[in-house]
Amino acid sequence: MSLLQINTVDRLDRPSAYYAGKNKRRRDRDDEKEQEDPNSKLHNATTLYVGNLSFYTTEEQIHELFSKCGEVKRLVMGLDRFNKTPCGFCFVEYYNHQDAVDCLKYIGGTKLDERIIRTDLDPGFEEGRQYGRGKSGGQVRDEYREEYDPGRGGYGRAYDEQRAREEEEYGAGR
Amino acid sequence: MADYERRNHGPRGGGGGGGRKRRYRDDDDFDRRPQRRRYEEPLFVQVRRQLLTIAESAARKVEDDIIGIAKSVAENFDDEELRETFVNISLDLVQEQPMKIPFVAATTLVAYNLKAELGAEKHIDSGSWREVKLVLRFLGGLQPLFEGDGIFPLLEELFARAVDLQTASSEDLLGLELVKVILFTIPYVMSSPATGFETQAMGLLEKTDIIASTPHALVDLVNTFSPEENKEAAGPSVISLLQSQLQGEASRGWELKCLPGVQEIEQDEQDLGQKFFEPVNKVSFPQINVPNPVQNGARPLFPEVYISVFANQEIDTVPPPSDVTSLLLRDALVDTINLLDFNRVATAKYLIDVDCYFTPDTFVKRATPFDRMRDLAGLGQSWKPEDVAVDAVFSQLYQLPTPEHKLVYYHALLTECCKIGPAAIAPSLGRAIRFLYNNLETMDLELSNRFLDWFAHHLSNFGFTWKWSEWVDDLDLPAIHPKLAFINGALDKEIRLSFAQRIKGTLLEPYLPLITEEKEKDTPEFKYLSELTPYSKEGQEIMQLIRKKAGDEEIEPLITAIEEQAQSLGVEDPKVPSTDALMTSICFVGSKSLSHVLSCIERNKERLLAIGPVSQRARCQIIASVMEYWADQPGIAINIIDKLLNYTIITPYSVLEWALSESMKAGTVLAKAHIFEMISATVGKVTNRMRQIVVARTQSGLYEPQLSVLEETLSRERSEMQTLFKFIEDSIVSVAAGSNDELMERGDGSGDLPEDAIIRQWGRRWLRVFRRKVAVEEAFIMDSLANATPVGTVAPMQADDGNDGDIKITDADGQ
Repeated sequence: MSLLQINTVDRLDRPSAYYAGKNKRRRDRDDEKEQEDPNSKLHNATTLYVGNLSFYTTEEQIHELFSKCGEVKRLVMGLDRFNKTPCGFCFVEYYNHQDAVDCLKYIGGTKLDERIIRTDLDPGFEEGRQYGRGKSGGQVRDEYREEYDPGRGGYGRAYDEQRAREEEEYGAGR
Repeated sequence: MADYERRNHGPRGGGGGGGRKRRYRDDDDFDRRPQRRRYEEPLFVQVRRQLLTIAESAARKVEDDIIGIAKSVAENFDDEELRETFVNISLDLVQEQPMKIPFVAATTLVAYNLKAELGAEKHIDSGSWREVKLVLRFLGGLQPLFEGDGIFPLLEELFARAVDLQTASSEDLLGLELVKVILFTIPYVMSSPATGFETQAMGLLEKTDIIASTPHALVDLVNTFSPEENKEAAGPSVISLLQSQLQGEASRGWELKCLPGVQEIEQDEQDLGQKFFEPVNKVSFPQINVPNPVQNGARPLFPEVYISVFANQEIDTVPPPSDVTSLLLRDALVDTINLLDFNRVATAKYLIDVDCYFTPDTFVKRATPFDRMRDLAGLGQSWKPEDVAVDAVFSQLYQLPTPEHKLVYYHALLTECCKIGPAAIAPSLGRAIRFLYNNLETMDLELSNRFLDWFAHHLSNFGFTWKWSEWVDDLDLPAIHPKLAFINGALDKEIRLSFAQRIKGTLLEPYLPLITEEKEKDTPEFKYLSELTPYSKEGQEIMQLIRKKAGDEEIEPLITAIEEQAQSLGVEDPKVPSTDALMTSICFVGSKSLSHVLSCIERNKERLLAIGPVSQRARCQIIASVMEYWADQPGIAINIIDKLLNYTIITPYSVLEWALSESMKAGTVLAKAHIFEMISATVGKVTNRMRQIVVARTQSGLYEPQLSVLEETLSRERSEMQTLFKFIEDSIVSVAAGSNDELMERGDGSGDLPEDAIIRQWGRRWLRVFRRKVAVEEAFIMDSLANATPVGTVAPMQADDGNDGDIKITDADGQ
C-alpha cells in the first residue's frame, strides 16, 4: 500500500461523481450556509450501493462475490416498488470501512453474473431506499432505455407503455 | 470568438444547460473534452506531466524524455515552483512506481541537481522497509553525484544493524529484511554511471553471504510446495537466491543486462558533444540516521520464497532463477503491484508495459506466441513480457502465509490485464493454469484452494470459457484425486457465481454428469415429505408451523412428540432427531434466499440457542441438517453455517467436530474443497477474534483494572484457540499416518488400496496448513504481547489536574 498523501495515479476508491452531484443539488436547493464536506458522511461508511445487476441475480451470487472483500453484515436487495421483485441494484453492508473501500478498488467494474457492476460508497441504508424510484416501480434508468437489455427487462418501460398505447389506439383512431 | 471558446469548456464550464449527465465513474476517469490552447500551460505543469509519464510510451525514446525534462529543469532552475514540483514528483514516483526509478534517477543526474531532504529517514524510523528500499534505490542511481563512497557507508550501517539482530536471535526476520534491502540496492548502484565501486560492493556481498545463505527455519513453512511432498519444486528463499545471483553477477563484472543503463544517453552525449553525467560539483550524501535498534514495520515479516508458474516449460519464457534478471524484474513488478492497489487499471497497464522500463533486449516483442519463442530460443536470451508480468501477480496470489492485499485484488488485476491485452495475456494465463493444475497434488493445500477460487472467479469474468477438453482424461481418476477434486470444486464455485444450467452450457459432454439434476434444483426436496423418513408426520407439521411463523408454544409439542418416539425406539440422544426436523424445516422454509433463511433462524433463535447447552450431539446435528439439506449446493450450506456461528447457535468446535470426526469418512472428506473452505472460515473467525483481543490488550494507555480483565479474556480465548487447533491436529494426524480407524477398516485393512496413499497425502497437506496457522497466530500473539503494558500497571496521576490535586492534598495535610 502506498504511503503517499497524494498519489501519482488516480484512485479508484473515491466517491463517485454521482454522489458528489447529488449532494450538490440538494445543497443548492436548500440554500444552506454551512459548507460541510459532502464526503464526510462517507469517512466511516461500511455500505455500498451496487448497480447494473441483472434482475435475475440472486442474493447468493452477490454474497459469493462480495464476501471476497470481507464478511458481509447485511445485504438488501433493491426491489420494484410495486411487484417487490429484484430490479437490478442492492446495498451491501460490511462490518469494516476498509472492506467497503477495498470493494470499490477490487470489485467495482468487474463482472457479476456476466454483467459489469458498479459500486459506490454509500452513507448507509435507510428503510425505503430498497425500492426503485422510477415511475413504473423499477429504477429510473430502466424507464427510458432505447437499447434492449435482456437482464433488465428489455427496453425502457416508458417505451413499453407508449408502444402498448399506440397499438391499442391504432384501430380507434381510424 | 468569446462565444466560440466557451463551448469548449463543455458541461463543466459553468455555461449551464446541455451536456451529458455524468452518472458513472467512467465519465470522470476519461475526460474527453477537446483540449485547446495548450500553450498557456505553465512550465511546471508540463514538467509534472512529462515526469509522471516518463518511459511510458514505446513510441518515444526514453532518452529524449530524460534529456527533455532535465533541460527544462536545468534551464529554469530559478523557478521555485518548478523546482519543487520536480523534487516532489520524483520522490513520489520513487515510492509508488518503482519501475521508473532508474529513469527518474537518470533525469535527476542529468539535471545536475539534487535536494537532500529525501525522507528516507522517516521510513527507516517507521520500519517501512519497502519504502526504504525504494528511496535507497533512487539514491543508488544517483551515486555519481555523491562525494566519497556515496551510499555505501549507509548500507554498511544497515548491515551492522542486521548483524546485531541476527546475533540476538536465529529466528530474526527483520535482519534478513535489512539484508534484502541492501542486496536489492547494490545492482542499482552498480548500474548507475558511477564507476569504481566494485570493491565496496564485493566487500558488502561477502559479508551478507553468511546471513543470506543460511536458510531460515520458517522457509519450509511458507514454501509453495511442501519439501516433504515435492523436494524438487520447493523453491529457494528469495534472499539466498539473490545473494548467489549477485555473486554470480559480480564475477561477471556487473553486467546487469536488464537494468536500463544509460548507454544510449552516452551515445547522445557524443553526438551532442555534451557531458551529461559528470556532475560539476559533487554533493555530500544526505545525512540519514539509522535508529538502534531498528523498528519492525506494520506488516509482519516472513521469509519469501521464489516461485514461478512458468518453471520447467520446454522453452524458458521467463528468466531462470539462476539469472539475476529474474529477481530484479520480480522485485520491481511486485512492488508496483502492491503499491498501486488503489488503481488496478493503472497497475495492469504498467504490467503490460513492463518492456518499456527495462533494457530493450530484455524482452521479445509483446504477444509473441509461445511457439515463436521456440524459434527465438537460440538467438540470445529474451523473455516474454506477458509471462514475466503474470508470474509476478501469481507470486503474490501464492504468497504464504498471506499476501499484502486481499486475494481478490490479485484476481481483479489479472482480469484487468486480460481485458487490456486479451491476445497477449490469455495464452500466458493458460500456461500458468496448466502448471498449477499439473502440480495440484504436491502444492500447499491453502494455495491449491486459492487457485480454485481464482480460477472460478476469473472464468466468471470471461464467459466461463475454458478448454475443458484438456482435462477430459482426468475424469476417470478416483473422486478423491486432487485433480478431480479440483474440477469438482471449480465447477461448484462457478455455479455459485452463476447458476447450474449456465455452467452446464459451458461444458463438454463428458463433464455433464458432474452437474447432477439435484444441483439444478432451486429448492431441494424436503425429506419429511416422504413417508419413508422417520418422524415424517411431525417433520411436515413443524415445517408448516415455521412457514406460518407460529409461536414457540405450537412447535414445542411436536418436538416433544419426536423425542418421545425416539426414546421408545431406543435412540441414544432423542434431541438429535427432533433437532434434525427443526433445522431441516428451517432450511426448507428459508430455501428461497439467504435473507429468507436468516429471518427464519431469527424467529426460532431462542429454541436453536437452547439446543447446544443441553446436547452437544444435537448441536452437531444442526450443522449436519444444514449440510445435508444443501448437500448439492454446498456454497449455500457453508454460508448458513457461517451465520449460525455468528448467532452462537453453533460453536467453532462443533463445526470441526462435525466435519473432522462425524463425517470424516475415512479421511475422504478432506478431499472436498468446500469442507476446507468451511474449516478455514471457522478457524479464521476464531483467530480474528483472538487478534482483536490482542490488539485491545496491547493498546497503549491501558491500566488496571482493565488490564486484568483483558488479560483474563485473552488467556481464556487463547486456550480455546489452542484446543481448537489441537482437535484439528489430532483428527488429521491419524489420517496422515494411515492409522485412522475407518481408514484401516476399509478394504482388506492393509492400507494398500490405491486410494489410501491419496488420502494419506490429503492428511499431510491439511496438517501442514493448520500447523502453519498455529505458528503464524502464536507468533503474532508473542510479538504483540512483547510490548504490552504488564498486568498490574496502575494509572499514573493525571498530568493535567495532577498539580491541582497535589496542591489540594498538601492543603488538606496542612490543615
